[in-house]
Amino acid sequence: MSRLFALVTLSVAIAAPASAQPRIGAPAPAFSGVDSNGRPVKLADYRGRTVVLEWNNPGCPFVQKHYRSGNMQKTQARARQDGAVWLSVNSGASGKQGHMTGAAANGFVKAQKAQPTAYLLDPSGAIGRAYAAKTTPEIYVIDAKGILVYQGAIDDRPTADPADIAGARNHVLAALAEVKAGKQVSVAQTRSYGCSVKYAS
Amino acid sequence: MNGLGFRLMTLWLALAALLAPMVARAQAEPHLKSRLVAESSAPKAGTTITLALLMRPDPTWHGYWKNPGDSGVETNIEWTAPPGVTIGPIQYPVPQTLLISGLMNYVYEGPYTQLMELTLPAGLAPGTKLPIRGKADWLVCTSEICVPETAELAIDLVVGDGAVDAATRAEFDRYRAALPKPLGSEAKFAVAGSSFRLGVPLPAAAAVSQAYFFPLTDGVIDYAAPQTVTRDGDLLVIETKAREGEAAPAKIEGLLKLGEHNGLMLTAVSGTVPAGGTPLAKAGEAAGAGEEGDAATLLLALGGAILGGLLLNIMPCVFPILSLKALSLARSGESEASARKEALAYTAGVVLVCAALGAILLVLRAGGNVAGWAFQLQDPRVILFLLLLVAAIGLNLAGLFELPVISGGDSLASSGGMGGAFWTGALAAFVATPCTGPFMGAALGAALVLPPAGAMAVFAGLGLGLALPFLALGFVPALRRKLPRPGAWMDKLRRILAVPMFATALGLAWILGRQAGVDGMTLGLGAALLIGLALWWVGRRQARGAGAAWWPLVPAAAAAIALLVVVPREPAIASAKTESALSAEPFSEARLAALRSEGRPIFVYFTADWCLTCKVNEKAAIERAEVADAFKARKVAVLVGDWTRGDATIGRFLATHGRSGVPLYLFYPAGGGEPTVLPQVLTPGTLTALGA
Repeated sequence: MSRLFALVTLSVAIAAPASAQPRIGAPAPAFSGVDSNGRPVKLADYRGRTVVLEWNNPGCPFVQKHYRSGNMQKTQARARQDGAVWLSVNSGASGKQGHMTGAAANGFVKAQKAQPTAYLLDPSGAIGRAYAAKTTPEIYVIDAKGILVYQGAIDDRPTADPADIAGARNHVLAALAEVKAGKQVSVAQTRSYGCSVKYAS
Repeated sequence: MNGLGFRLMTLWLALAALLAPMVARAQAEPHLKSRLVAESSAPKAGTTITLALLMRPDPTWHGYWKNPGDSGVETNIEWTAPPGVTIGPIQYPVPQTLLISGLMNYVYEGPYTQLMELTLPAGLAPGTKLPIRGKADWLVCTSEICVPETAELAIDLVVGDGAVDAATRAEFDRYRAALPKPLGSEAKFAVAGSSFRLGVPLPAAAAVSQAYFFPLTDGVIDYAAPQTVTRDGDLLVIETKAREGEAAPAKIEGLLKLGEHNGLMLTAVSGTVPAGGTPLAKAGEAAGAGEEGDAATLLLALGGAILGGLLLNIMPCVFPILSLKALSLARSGESEASARKEALAYTAGVVLVCAALGAILLVLRAGGNVAGWAFQLQDPRVILFLLLLVAAIGLNLAGLFELPVISGGDSLASSGGMGGAFWTGALAAFVATPCTGPFMGAALGAALVLPPAGAMAVFAGLGLGLALPFLALGFVPALRRKLPRPGAWMDKLRRILAVPMFATALGLAWILGRQAGVDGMTLGLGAALLIGLALWWVGRRQARGAGAAWWPLVPAAAAAIALLVVVPREPAIASAKTESALSAEPFSEARLAALRSEGRPIFVYFTADWCLTCKVNEKAAIERAEVADAFKARKVAVLVGDWTRGDATIGRFLATHGRSGVPLYLFYPAGGGEPTVLPQVLTPGTLTALGA
């Protein structure tokens, strides 16, 4: 009987949706994963450096908006010039849109001239769920002390039209500049826009 | 890069190259077809007309509500219109929830229509051409992929007399009926830690079978979290998870959905929301949305199921099988180990059959109306069916007729060993179903509101309860010697159990009366009588040992089915409501015009079942004896318009008086004069003073 009930409780717990949203100003959830070259990657490895997490799905038109226009690559380059670590994360489950093998991810990075420090493969969705990532693209900025300082969209134009990039405010670059200057991030949370993260059901 | 990796990459690039033109072609043929239409193609200068953007997503695709939920984008239109012509914001119809892999989407899965108000400047000459152009952007998705689409919208209007033909008016009224209605009263919300509570003023008398809160204000609640709905008097409370780490705003807006096309727009201010109240079934129309479940409800249902299963053992149709098996077990003097094995095998048989029955029910539920069974229980036809079923079970328990004995499993059951025990268990569970009565009824009820996992647990619990005595017999030898012997007392017990069955039938007849009026209840009781007489006849034939004893049931069942079809579906309560001392007539513009031309003073009021202010005014002011007397003395006619379902003619009438919703109180003085708009909060004094 108690086992039966435990079973029911367990199945209910599994069915429960994504975990709590990480808070701005609180320590970012720790994670460990594997990158497109099979190397293990831990958030703790980068303690002392600013880390940017970018949720990626090459099949998503909103991701394409920022890659085909070169906006994402430009943002990655600027971030890394300033010493930040850029981790692209793919939480697409096997069989879903945007899911990639390591080789395919390396192909994507090369073809797009993207400049992430590493491309993380998260088909189980463990990293995505820990951060409650909901859309692609979606950006998280973690400061050198491991504190989450930004979560949300790459910019303030929630469209799929590359023409909208020109006049947009790039929230990520703005946050990185403020972090570098030792200032409080002025726009610390925005509503991310794009396709839903294609998690395993 | 190694050779394999390079080849894989080449493969991937080749695939991408192949896919690119496919995507391009897909964009040429949109997944969401749109069409822009105007209510009048010849609008009058200085007036406002409605534009409708008809949206038709391909099957399996969906478009988004204004707040798209965890992902998605709202519709955006950039208009190009002649100077002075203004086009208002998009009005969205009541959306649906769609939970995909733990992410909540607020969407439209079928055709939907977005409305916009277009206002013409005054002083345009008739015949002036008004080309209206728009560039619309939206996102259309399946559960797998998303495609942003752009459409060029165009419609050419010519300034005219503003005529609207009847067919177009009816069509636009349908679109308007799908829009949410303004609630009018202010709601309150409270955030404490991770808990968000919303208190919506809603009259206790308003029937609500489901409720879900779609917030327009982003960042306040966790969209994917299940919502629990409770009602406490005139307050409906929605409880769900707050988005942590974000300061809640002072005011939030959103839509409370109470059914398909039935939504109320509301504004909630920060305040206190009392706890407690009676739980409504799980909110969240998506089957997965209510998954987290209320552990207490589940525990209670499970306990009830086990207890129910236990009681089933003394039901007359189960006891003989069980006792025979138990007696054989005691008699055979088998070893302890094999007794235990048999007990376990028996338990497995019982639980499996119960779980199978539960699974069948869940499949039926999934195949049935997605709107939920709670909604179906408001259908008088369902109540009538239950009434007939319960009455028939009661008559059976009373001994009027016998159910045919299912003997198929008997030969299997009499075989010894574990196989025999398993089949005895399966047989007991199966045979138990006709006489489970109220116990199975309760389990069924719980199964209809619980999420699938919980429902299956309830059914398994029922089986476990049924198997418990045998399990005890298998494990405690002393018990085996103390078994009561089957005998006349069992028959007596069965007769007594008919009483609660008939009481249940009485309760169902009362519910039927509430839903379908006296006529409906009489029809239902007539059907029960017919079935009763047929079963009596069946019993007589059975007693005589006649073959084909069941045929008298055929015409009775046919008559009952005919009644199921004709039983009135509209609640008769609506007519009773207006039947106050005021002798109010239903509102229509024609009736209003007729009364005005007669020169009668008229009091017109508009109400809705979900409008608390309306109901309070009716109780406290309108339906008072002194008001009725005053109105009677001055021959004040009373018209009442019911906007519960968002009737479009009433909606337009409200709009002409500058209101977007109810309540609205108007007084037309004697002699056909212009009406006075009365305050939203009425007192008997205000009303008795009218026309004095």
